[in-house]
Amino acid sequence: MTYTISAPPHKKTKFDFKTLNYSKIIALLPLCLAAIYFFGIPALGIIVVSVVSAVVTEFAIQGIFKQKVTITDGHAAMMGLMLALLIPPEAPLWIPAFAAFFSISVGKHVFGGIGSYIFNPVLVGWIFTRSAWSGYMTAASIPHIGQFSDLILEHGAGLMVGVSPILLIGGVYLIYKRYIDWRVPFSFFATMIILPQALLFISGVMDLVHKGSLNPLMYMSQMFALFSPSPELSYSMIGIVFFGILFMATDTATSPVTKKGRIIYGITCGVLVFIYGHFANYVDGVLYGIFLANCVASFIEINTMPASFGTMSCAENAYRRVMDKIPSSLKFEVINNE
Amino acid sequence: MEIKKLDTLPEKMIIPLRQHRGAVCEPLVKKGDRVLIGQKIGESAEYQSSAVHSSVCGEVIAIEEAPHPDGNKVMSVIIQPEDSNESVEFSACKDVKSDQLAQFIKESGIVEHYGMPTHAVLRPKGKKIDTVLINATSSEWIGGTFKTPGDYASQMIDALKLLMKAAGAKKGAIVLRTDDKESINAFEGIEVDNKKLKVSPLIGSRNVGYYFNEHNSDIVIVSQERIFGKKILNFFTYRVTGRNVNIGCSPTDVGVAVCGIKSAKALYDAVHEGVPFYDTVVSVEGVSNKMEYILVRIGTPFKDVIDSFGYTGAIGKIIANGVRTGVAQYTDQVPVTKGTTRITIQKPEEVIRDEAIECIHCARCVDVCPVELIPSRLAVMADQGRFDECRQIHIENCIECGDCAAVCPSKIPILQLIRYAKDAIEMAYEDLPEKESSNLKVGCGCG
Repeated sequence: MTYTISAPPHKKTKFDFKTLNYSKIIALLPLCLAAIYFFGIPALGIIVVSVVSAVVTEFAIQGIFKQKVTITDGHAAMMGLMLALLIPPEAPLWIPAFAAFFSISVGKHVFGGIGSYIFNPVLVGWIFTRSAWSGYMTAASIPHIGQFSDLILEHGAGLMVGVSPILLIGGVYLIYKRYIDWRVPFSFFATMIILPQALLFISGVMDLVHKGSLNPLMYMSQMFALFSPSPELSYSMIGIVFFGILFMATDTATSPVTKKGRIIYGITCGVLVFIYGHFANYVDGVLYGIFLANCVASFIEINTMPASFGTMSCAENAYRRVMDKIPSSLKFEVINNE
Repeated sequence: MEIKKLDTLPEKMIIPLRQHRGAVCEPLVKKGDRVLIGQKIGESAEYQSSAVHSSVCGEVIAIEEAPHPDGNKVMSVIIQPEDSNESVEFSACKDVKSDQLAQFIKESGIVEHYGMPTHAVLRPKGKKIDTVLINATSSEWIGGTFKTPGDYASQMIDALKLLMKAAGAKKGAIVLRTDDKESINAFEGIEVDNKKLKVSPLIGSRNVGYYFNEHNSDIVIVSQERIFGKKILNFFTYRVTGRNVNIGCSPTDVGVAVCGIKSAKALYDAVHEGVPFYDTVVSVEGVSNKMEYILVRIGTPFKDVIDSFGYTGAIGKIIANGVRTGVAQYTDQVPVTKGTTRITIQKPEEVIRDEAIECIHCARCVDVCPVELIPSRLAVMADQGRFDECRQIHIENCIECGDCAAVCPSKIPILQLIRYAKDAIEMAYEDLPEKESSNLKVGCGCG
């Protein structure tokens, strides 16, 4: 009788890269259906062309370079689908075909394939076509904002991704299932909410300064501005921002791996998107902002390497130093050693 | 819960002369001798060793190197058992003095499940123990050896007192698992020195030191979440007592002795009945739908244990000591030793065969790592032989729990790579601490 021997662990999770990709595709399907309903057959054409082009490109590249063909893992298909959602449905079909080709070839395989690319391939393809053929890539309309019903069906959507922000709820389910990490989306979204409010507060204070107001209560009252939704806040609720938060920024290879790093990366994304959105527009701003954040992702990663386990952080050290000086009779904290 | 007892005698018993970390025992018998149950067949003059006793009555047919569940071959006494219950005379010795208790433990062959001889844990050379912990978290409820849960609780308390006496320690604690309701109920409200004890959870900075004060008692019972792993002791000590055990030190360096349920029970039996440590309860997984428990004599080959459940299906993998960090066996003729806690059978179709792909940086390993490492980075560095960089990112902190490799969606053998790097670093640097254990030595005579 022969037995298999191998190194531990002898039981592993069934979750793998394939599952991750296909679950992301499934999470995006409701949105695709809504987009097809909204824009009609051209939207379907763009999705199909983009996905097919991405898969064929990957197959061709891996075939030519005699690598193992990995189109079945769904990564190329997922990239193609995400890219299609960012292309206006009026664009001619060669646009998605070229964009998907560019994404997979330059964005992914030039950098070394799965896990090695530094820029999200979808954004690489999108930014290239956006810059090269900006006429075709400009959306016909921009999202309406301000009404709650726009969350369910956005009539002003120019891109497929914008048709129904609520249908991106699949991404939230993926976070709940721990298929994608919560730190990046959470800190990204929080930044996107806090920054417009802070801006409202600052501009209120600046107004008072210009008027020459000296009453401190007037300045204090500006604090309430933090709680009244600023007009810019509703830009954080459009489809493409949700898409960016849930699917673009959480792309595993282009975000840092350290715990602290992921939070900082989310905040970086939020700040960049806000700056871009505030001075230009939010639809392009999300994609350019995340692209710029990708540039600093590995910088964030190497600077947030955790210290050796059990090492006290700066704050803990300071707290210890203070607490050690206080006589124990005054302390409320739990006594560690008997 | 029912517990089976293995009654059928195997064809031969393989009793390794080293069932602990430390010196190999010298055999006290020779080929052709007749041995009785409980007869001492091996001992060593070294302090770091533990006596070995025969678990059956029979004839010694060989003393030779035989497979050991840790993957190596070890000098073993092979006994052909005969159907007889003849044993050496056991005499209870309840009034052993504190300073002789350690020697008594060594003579009784009591060994911790992680390999250290119990007396070496309780009375380490040159160190002073002030707290004894019984770790009841990783051992499953071993009902069969006790008649009722109440018995279990009271015997554990007695055993803890004995351990404290042997170590000369003032304080002692039993650590349960929060989801193990059966044990918690057993211990809830138990009386020690006319004081009712409560099972208290370890939360935040409320560690045992806090509860010693709050309950105003030298013995406390606490509960904590389950933790896995092989080099987990330092981490366990930190969680329970709040004492930071540096890398390369053992809990004994900070005055803490960690014992398991099995050794506590063995000590209780040795003191109250005079029986040395020659049988143990192992859990068997995979032979039926549920977890099976069986009381076996030390030295029984795994094959006989598996056969006793009437399992006839094909076997793909036999794993000693759990699927997370256990060792896959190349033969079923390995014996149950004092350190064996679980035997897992996997059918051929259950054996995982994965192909590793590139790391996708999903950071799941970072999220599960209990000691705040970046396992994915360590794996890459180890794979490329960049061991210096592994050291810079604290590879020595790894407790080899295997969580990272278990959750990896790219199926990268992270744990194996980390061990590889650790071994390489160990050979290159002399300032590193002595290794606790190794499953496989390169160039060993196995397989």
